[in-house]
Amino acid sequence: MAKARLIGDRTSRVMVQAMERRAADVRGRVFQFSLLATLLISLFILGVLIADVMIDAWGLLTGRPGGFLSGTMRSLSDDPKLGVQQALVGTFWIAVFVAVLAFPIGIGAAIWLEEYAPRNRFTRFIELNIRNLAGVPSIVYGLLGLFLFVQSLGDLTGGKSIAAAGITLAILVLPIVIITAQEAIRAVPQGLKEGAYGVGATKWTMIRSQVLPYAAPGIFTGTLLSMSRGIGEAAPLLLVGAVSGRLGGNPGFFDLSAINAESFMAMPVIIVEWVQNSGRDPGFAEAAAAAIVVLLVFVILMNAAAILLRNHFEKKRG
Amino acid sequence: MRQARLFVLIIGLLTTFALVVAACGGGNGDDGGEPASQPGDGGNADGGSQESGSSVSGRVTISGSSTVEPISVRVAELFEDVQPDVRVTVDGPGTGDGFKLFCEGETDISDASRPIKESEAADCAEAGIEYVELRVGIDGIAVMTGENNPVDCVSFKDIYGMVGPESTGFGSWSDAGSLSGLETSNLPDASLDIYGPGEESGTFDSFVEIVLEHIADERGQDATTRPDYNANADDNVIIQGIQSSDTSFGWVGFAFAAHASGVKLLQVDGGDGCKSANADTIASGEYPVSRALYIYVNKANAVASPALTAYVDFYLSDEGLGTAVSQVGYVNLTDDAKSATRANWSGR
Repeated sequence: MAKARLIGDRTSRVMVQAMERRAADVRGRVFQFSLLATLLISLFILGVLIADVMIDAWGLLTGRPGGFLSGTMRSLSDDPKLGVQQALVGTFWIAVFVAVLAFPIGIGAAIWLEEYAPRNRFTRFIELNIRNLAGVPSIVYGLLGLFLFVQSLGDLTGGKSIAAAGITLAILVLPIVIITAQEAIRAVPQGLKEGAYGVGATKWTMIRSQVLPYAAPGIFTGTLLSMSRGIGEAAPLLLVGAVSGRLGGNPGFFDLSAINAESFMAMPVIIVEWVQNSGRDPGFAEAAAAAIVVLLVFVILMNAAAILLRNHFEKKRG
Repeated sequence: MRQARLFVLIIGLLTTFALVVAACGGGNGDDGGEPASQPGDGGNADGGSQESGSSVSGRVTISGSSTVEPISVRVAELFEDVQPDVRVTVDGPGTGDGFKLFCEGETDISDASRPIKESEAADCAEAGIEYVELRVGIDGIAVMTGENNPVDCVSFKDIYGMVGPESTGFGSWSDAGSLSGLETSNLPDASLDIYGPGEESGTFDSFVEIVLEHIADERGQDATTRPDYNANADDNVIIQGIQSSDTSFGWVGFAFAAHASGVKLLQVDGGDGCKSANADTIASGEYPVSRALYIYVNKANAVASPALTAYVDFYLSDEGLGTAVSQVGYVNLTDDAKSATRANWSGR
């Protein structure tokens, strides 16, 4: 006890000396400031982007926010019925598909790979391929979706539908979900697992009562971030067949018939569409900026959900 | 168990977002006036119930040219006010892709920025699909320069020499004459500043197809423009660029150029002498940098679906061929051509 206090005293004396003779560490300061500069540069670019979009979108979003959210695709930018509801409905249901399909499958695969799979050549091969899949360009997943879910399984998905798009994007984010969940599970301290075995738990009880609660915050941060990435994808949706001109009908958010109707729209695609339309009708630039703001808010809300979930589980973990 | 509850929580959060949006939207009291029912019935334009008098319901599926797409969309929007129960969906993957779908029976109407090709017509015949071709409008492109430029008329060959694929780096109008085997007019030695729409634009494609493609093919070149010109998606910016210099050169859709000041619309010689660009010469096809826009309607579907028939009837009314066509920036057909189109439709 007395010895520990002695060591403590000595440490703090060294610290105080180091702090009083501070002029010496020039390199350290330079390094610190260059790190700060990199952070500021990325924040600055992000800030300029957001400010630019907000300035363009401001008139439309403050002028008729409700009308813009409930409106449909139109041919003229000054049409009071111009808006994003059809695209928001599409993106909302695509997000639901990703959550329902990619999360359980991805997290399940990660648990198996981390806790059950033998360490042999076969599982190493699987893991290597998952990592490769995470780097495959999204347009390739679009082609897969076109051939598999639009054409071959068209009777099931309804063809060029929200269902086909949702399944395609679920597959697109699946490798990322698996990898992030694996990382989170791997970070569970070995001692926790051994402690569970020590009191006679089976493997299943150990995973359920120790591994999953401990890994949950990491799993949820990773998976919801991957979903944010997924719903921002335009390229695969263009291939799966999002409509470019006009969508007949404007279904509400809970109109289930919209899911396998044979045409759909989504936020990233409507942004692409309106940017292109701005060549013919410059007012569409403003509409595209407003749609970007709506998509940003949607993604921020989803990230907020991820943070809430993480905090919830971190509290539980104690 | 815990997992399950979590997914419920996530979906719950998304649902909350949806509710908020729905509530905001509802406040404006404008939801596009669509009926809530009518689940996906798979078939195209399969009629539906006729409730009272002239009210029809059903679906109309349109695909094809992205150039014609805005016309069909605008017609659908105007039609919606008359027949709110008809759901018209319009896509624009391109004329060729549109005919492919059309001849597979996937669509009711195919938008086209050129007449159907023989090979495509053969595909349709093989699949037993009969169609009627309707000309609906004209896409004209104005070729312009600065107000005070003494040049009045350029030929297709002059344009090729100035903006074609072989002109990369040319800084003067007269450089066009330096291409071997290209007979250009007597162009001045004046600085050449070029402004035009970028490759993403339909006007770019039309310009290349009408003016450059034929000459480029003959000379064994790719059908495109030189890459080094001021490309912009905004027609206003292009016009401003052309205004900024007396010896500028550029092109935009005619409907846009017609209202511009400070620019001079050049006459164009497409082989039959110099023709100036105005609504009459474009409508008559006399001005060479123009092309007709078409819709192709599936005959059998038109018989089966009152919704499709009503939509095409409306398309060919003055609101369609007149109002809608000019609102989205194209040139109206002459009255004679309109009558011919209507006669084609009624005589199908």
